[in-house]
Amino acid sequence: MNDSTKRAASRDAAGLSALVIIAAVFAFLSPDFLGARNLSMLAIELSITAILALGMFLVILPGHIDLSAGSGVGLVGAVTAVLITVKGWPAPAAMLVGAIMAFLVWRAMGMVIVTQRMPSFIITLGGLLIFKGLFWLVIRSSTVPVSSGGQMNLLARLTTTYLPPAAGWALAAVAAAVSLGLWARRARLAKKQATAYDAETGFLKAFIGAQIVFLFVITMNGFRGVPLPALLLALCAGAIALLTEHTAFGRRLYAIGGNEEAAHLAGIDVNATVITAYALMGGAVALTGFMQTAYTGASTTTVGDLMELDAVAACVIGGASLKGGRGDARGVLFGALIMAALLNGMTLLAVSPEIKYIARGLVLSLAVWLDARLSRS
Amino acid sequence: MIPPLFEARGVTKRFGGVVALKDVSFDVRPGEVHALCGENGAGKSTLIKLMSGAYPHGSYEGTMLASGKEVSLRGVADAQRAGVAAIAQELALVPAMSVAENVLLGDLPVRGAMVDWPEVERDAREWLKRLGLEIDIDLPVEALATGQRQLVEIAKALRRRARVLILDEPTAALSETEVEKLFKIIATLRGEGIAVVYVSHRLEEIFQIADRVTVLRDATVVGTRRVADTNRTELIRDMVGRELGELYPRHAPKLGEVRLDVRGLCARAGDERALSDVSFTLRAGEVLGVGGLMGAGRTELFLHLFGAWGRRTAGEVLLNGRPLRADTPGTAIEAGLSLVTEDRRRYGLILDQSVGFNLSLSTLRALTRAGFIDAAEEALRGGSDLSDLRIKTPGLSTPVSALSGGNQQKVLFGRARRSNPTVLLLDEPTKGVDVGAKIEIYELINALTARGLAVILTSSELPELIGVSDRILMMREGRIAGEFSRGTATQERLIAAALGQEIS
Repeated sequence: MNDSTKRAASRDAAGLSALVIIAAVFAFLSPDFLGARNLSMLAIELSITAILALGMFLVILPGHIDLSAGSGVGLVGAVTAVLITVKGWPAPAAMLVGAIMAFLVWRAMGMVIVTQRMPSFIITLGGLLIFKGLFWLVIRSSTVPVSSGGQMNLLARLTTTYLPPAAGWALAAVAAAVSLGLWARRARLAKKQATAYDAETGFLKAFIGAQIVFLFVITMNGFRGVPLPALLLALCAGAIALLTEHTAFGRRLYAIGGNEEAAHLAGIDVNATVITAYALMGGAVALTGFMQTAYTGASTTTVGDLMELDAVAACVIGGASLKGGRGDARGVLFGALIMAALLNGMTLLAVSPEIKYIARGLVLSLAVWLDARLSRS
Repeated sequence: MIPPLFEARGVTKRFGGVVALKDVSFDVRPGEVHALCGENGAGKSTLIKLMSGAYPHGSYEGTMLASGKEVSLRGVADAQRAGVAAIAQELALVPAMSVAENVLLGDLPVRGAMVDWPEVERDAREWLKRLGLEIDIDLPVEALATGQRQLVEIAKALRRRARVLILDEPTAALSETEVEKLFKIIATLRGEGIAVVYVSHRLEEIFQIADRVTVLRDATVVGTRRVADTNRTELIRDMVGRELGELYPRHAPKLGEVRLDVRGLCARAGDERALSDVSFTLRAGEVLGVGGLMGAGRTELFLHLFGAWGRRTAGEVLLNGRPLRADTPGTAIEAGLSLVTEDRRRYGLILDQSVGFNLSLSTLRALTRAGFIDAAEEALRGGSDLSDLRIKTPGLSTPVSALSGGNQQKVLFGRARRSNPTVLLLDEPTKGVDVGAKIEIYELINALTARGLAVILTSSELPELIGVSDRILMMREGRIAGEFSRGTATQERLIAAALGQEIS
């Protein structure tokens, strides 16, 4: 076992025990925490947090950051809600406009960062304020519901749709097959390359993964079924995992984060790669914006508040390094689960907002401290 | 007899199951320069770190003695109190602070609660004068050349009453004149009874300044010899454990057609050093050496050809008879150039990533099938790189940072080779690489040129430049200062050209 796998193992252990402790404490303080109803809500909240975190991961990998994500979530939701409710647009058209806008704005932000050689921290901090201002202008600092007169539309359905039980089971079966299929492929490849791969442990992991998925579906079906956001998250997570681990683009992100100068001299178009990462982040912001606004039921001034920090925290907890070049989608998903569980549990216990802020801050600091400690060894 | 200033006796150091040093004894006497050499991974750095307190007492077996008395060093501060100071490859100065502040770093004289600045200046000036240095003490350290920084570091160590100075590859980044200055200072220190542990890959230097030399191989001491009683061949044999044939096994080239034709090239980056009127040709199968002092424009020439430095103001570059369009490294690679950069850790490798990742980095597109990287194809290519280049690694998934310097360099060669270049640019390809790996790299250059590849390389070591090149260009201040064929190149002539002097 070399240093980096040892480091990853100790981080995994720390993360897992943190999750178990969080769950145990909340379950002890409130028996509802592990109830089907709350877990269903947690699944939706996790999906929202995690999709933004996965987008954030794409910009953190090459060593950048996006502090404007939370304001962007609010702004995209506001534009979409206003187009639907005030202008009377059909929801799909309004959402398309919101998504294209986010994609272009984030792409532009990426271009400013790389071509003007500005620190992404500052540019996106500017974005945070600008987008928040625009956001409040768009909704005139009031509350704009996602649908008028209680009518259902695509936007509102995003977080209120549940899959029928049978569909849930089918999905679980597909997930289990994919998980075991990936294991088989990995084991075959390792055999071919004659590299050390512990096939038994790998199988165990794939097996446990499949079991967790089934357990999840059983629990969700105990309430209303698997929520639609969970399916969206599964698709996004799969896409980001494939993108980062199995494509040239993903390799470039890791290379730039690991050593930008070397990546450039190896022939990588650093600017184009970072701009694409930001554009994809724009997509994640748009999707999160739709979901968060729909989950709130309306676009209002607090939507998206501090979500960028939850996303950064999820990345760091999940093993991504703020210097770039480290981490994976699986870890980010896990980090998002910790953040979402923490927030959900505190809301369930009616913890005051003051304490919530402090708790989030402590978790973020703890994660960064752990990151610094583990990457030093 | 006077006891050694510092002595390690029967020291064994393990990292997990790996033995880094096995029953090693080493000592330095007052007024002595004791060279320490060996291939990368032989245990030099471990020994230095033990002596300078980086590995605390108790983490190793054996004893350490300072002036004959046993000491247990718990850290670098303890070692400094015992009189041992290591001048590392990465210097420990604060770039934005002045020379004076750096010399007195951590020990600024105070009057009341305030720093006593006149005293700081007086003190710093005195120490620099003692070393015969003429450096403006008010300048920030970042404004100094590498050589001067090193000397500031030495002044800092001496001010803290260091009696044993450990210099780790001190000349790696120095120009010839800076090296001479350093040697003069080492001679002065030796006269004052200071002991110097001198670590270097450059054997010439050892013969120039050392009194004794200890060779480490595979974690053990092969032998300690008096420099006066030994020679190059013997030391190399000690280091690699076998008799080496020829040090520079360059085969006679079979020259082909002109690959690269550079005509009147002028380029600059802002107000920085410029290239002016650079012209040369390079044929298939040929090795063209480019020499010159630090800052003569060698690296700039390479980076400009590769699309990574400067704006062209005049001239043209033809590759295979057609104008070369390379405004980024990406387009240069597509056009058929490959570059192995100087300073592999900084400009070459992604250290966090695996050997396989680093090998594939320049040819990701070629490995992509239907949008995804073909893992089986990648493993196949990687496997043949490992065997062709004889890269010693447990596997493709091993982090590249775990490899020795020579093997890391070979990984970069493997990456450069992957894109099937017609012209290969090698910037200091053997820097910081041990003797055994150097010879493997020379053989690799032979094999590549035998297949019709054209190679341009730089080297700061003139014997190497002469030994491996079929033709040599010397650069000075961004211009070509002379061209030498293999037969006419001598060290004296090359140096004269580099300095811009005529010799008969």
